[in-house]
Amino acid sequence: MFWEQLLNGLTLGSTYALIALGYTMVYGIVQLINFAHGEIYMFGAFAGLILVSFFGFNLIAAMLAAMLFCMLLGILVERIAYRPLRGKSSRLSALISAIGVSIFLSTLMALMAGTNTHRYPEVIAHQSYHLGSLDLSLMQILILAVSALLMIGLQFMVQKTRIGKAMRACSQDLDASYLMGINVNRVISFTFAVGSALAAAGGVMVGVYYNAVWPYMGMMAGLKAFAAAVMGGIGSIPGAMIGGLSLGIMEIMGVAYLSSSYKDAIAFGMLILVLLIRPQGLMGQKISKKV
Amino acid sequence: MIRGRKSRWAMLLCLLLAVALLAGCSSNKEAAEGNKDADKSQEEAIKLGFLGATTGDVANYGIPGKKGMEMAIDDLNAQGGILGKKVEGVYEDNKGENSEIALIATKYITRDKVVAMVGDPCTGLTKVAADIAQKNKVVIFSAGATGTGVVEIGDYVFRNTLLDQFAVPSVVDWMMNSKGWKNFAIITSLNIGYSTALTPVFQEAIKAKGGKIVIEDTINNGETDFTAQITKLKNAGADVLVFTGYYREAALLQNEAKKQGLDITLLGGDGLYGHDLIKLGKDAVEEKVIYYCGFSSDQPSPETDAFIKKYVERFKEQPDMFSAQYYDAVMILAKAMTDAKSTDPAVFKDELARLKDYPGVSGNTTFRADREPIKSPICLITVKDGEFFLLEKIPVKVQ
Repeated sequence: MFWEQLLNGLTLGSTYALIALGYTMVYGIVQLINFAHGEIYMFGAFAGLILVSFFGFNLIAAMLAAMLFCMLLGILVERIAYRPLRGKSSRLSALISAIGVSIFLSTLMALMAGTNTHRYPEVIAHQSYHLGSLDLSLMQILILAVSALLMIGLQFMVQKTRIGKAMRACSQDLDASYLMGINVNRVISFTFAVGSALAAAGGVMVGVYYNAVWPYMGMMAGLKAFAAAVMGGIGSIPGAMIGGLSLGIMEIMGVAYLSSSYKDAIAFGMLILVLLIRPQGLMGQKISKKV
Repeated sequence: MIRGRKSRWAMLLCLLLAVALLAGCSSNKEAAEGNKDADKSQEEAIKLGFLGATTGDVANYGIPGKKGMEMAIDDLNAQGGILGKKVEGVYEDNKGENSEIALIATKYITRDKVVAMVGDPCTGLTKVAADIAQKNKVVIFSAGATGTGVVEIGDYVFRNTLLDQFAVPSVVDWMMNSKGWKNFAIITSLNIGYSTALTPVFQEAIKAKGGKIVIEDTINNGETDFTAQITKLKNAGADVLVFTGYYREAALLQNEAKKQGLDITLLGGDGLYGHDLIKLGKDAVEEKVIYYCGFSSDQPSPETDAFIKKYVERFKEQPDMFSAQYYDAVMILAKAMTDAKSTDPAVFKDELARLKDYPGVSGNTTFRADREPIKSPICLITVKDGEFFLLEKIPVKVQ
């Protein structure tokens, strides 16, 4: 049973990690906690639902299309709600704007789709494999594989490509990057797009995995992923992955060996504990402030 | 410090203004309706007040309830009313709010001079109205309150609904003797009162009948990830899963069970009734979910059949438990008044308390000595071919 629960935890954790990456990347560059990120994830899930049930897309095609759609949505949100505030007002107003976008998007979806939970059609036939006493389902393998692939791809992009280099430069110092001739706005738009695409992939996979999506699904998932990002060290990409995975595993183990009543308490209790011991998070770097 | 105090005053002022505004609104509305009612009261009629919400969160219970009550009153008048007098329903929408139902109950008693109030479907709201009814010596007849501490309020308080404490022992008996399920798993939805109240009733009944609870677990209402719970359940060796929560989580639990290859029936109370159960669960709930309730429009008795046909003809929809219970409540009140030959609540309430084996459209009703209703039979409903389907009717054994 332990290994099965570990697998459950890894699956849940990898969806948290996909969302957490978006938080961490945006924070790393513009120091903004994008509270609308959970709603982007929800829109991704719904986009996938519509494509699968009305247009007969298969899972991979629906996921790619949902990722594209959320890229545009992410760029749009940044353009409308954050860019006009950047540099002109305090960071707090951008944060409030993010909360506003979050509420706007979730209620917009509630208006369009109703507040009920919708069923995700079974896009891939259910299949499970036995590895000794371990039951491994095809969906779990798919989630783990796709998440791993996306994370490796992201790491490659950030470390090895030109735009990745620009992103790293921006995260170190936005003004200096601007002076060095980097188109800062384009880098920021790109960051939002990539983060949103990852969230959309997570949304579609969660929808298929649990067979359920609803307009307020982004709220709690967003909070959990945010906790994962902070736990791993906000701004650090490997940190978000580790934070997400460990949060998922801890939650599942909490339910398995303690009680579901403690599920959220464990998640957020761990967050507090990590921050008490390592305020910069597991993988975060200590930044000495210029005074 | 000074700034803080100032803003606190400002907030208080805003609050007061808001309260004044709200109070103003509702009293205006009442006055307008009061005038309208005053014209009607020229002709002497027996008045019954409707308690229930037709807007808001619990309107799903109140709207069909109101239709059932309207139909009952029309049926009574078609038969010549009660004791030769016309029956008249007075309808207000309490929005499912405590403050509204208190205002409405007071209005019914003081202005409309009702002899009885029918409703509310919710326990908490019924209690608020029952306090007022008891003080003013007016009968209140709830068609839905299942919680505790309702009829204890006083001898003018009645209710007509299947109570979990009577239903569950019979349901457990059916599971153990008809189905041969001896090992039970129980899952509770921690954050809903309905579930945390129903679980101990099941635990007690299972223990009393000699069944074994092999695993107890919890979930949170509103979540989707139940992988850990199902993995635990798979290794527990239960014959049946008792789930005391709502339909959404029941469907998701069965989805997950199916995925993990666990073939188990999920049984619960009427919190599982909701078409989303079928929409979300699809083939995972097909003949794998059973819930018990007091009313089913499948395989009806002759009384129920006539009621359903008439209801469908009039409202173009199927009646539910609430329409049937409101209908019965009005009819039971009429019977008590006719038998007591009086429309004085102080007189006919005693006749009402003696009700025995009343063959209503929502089942047979008997009041125990403490005025708690014993309704029989219980309907066990399952899902078949994507529809709710009556599996079996089982009698309630009165202890």
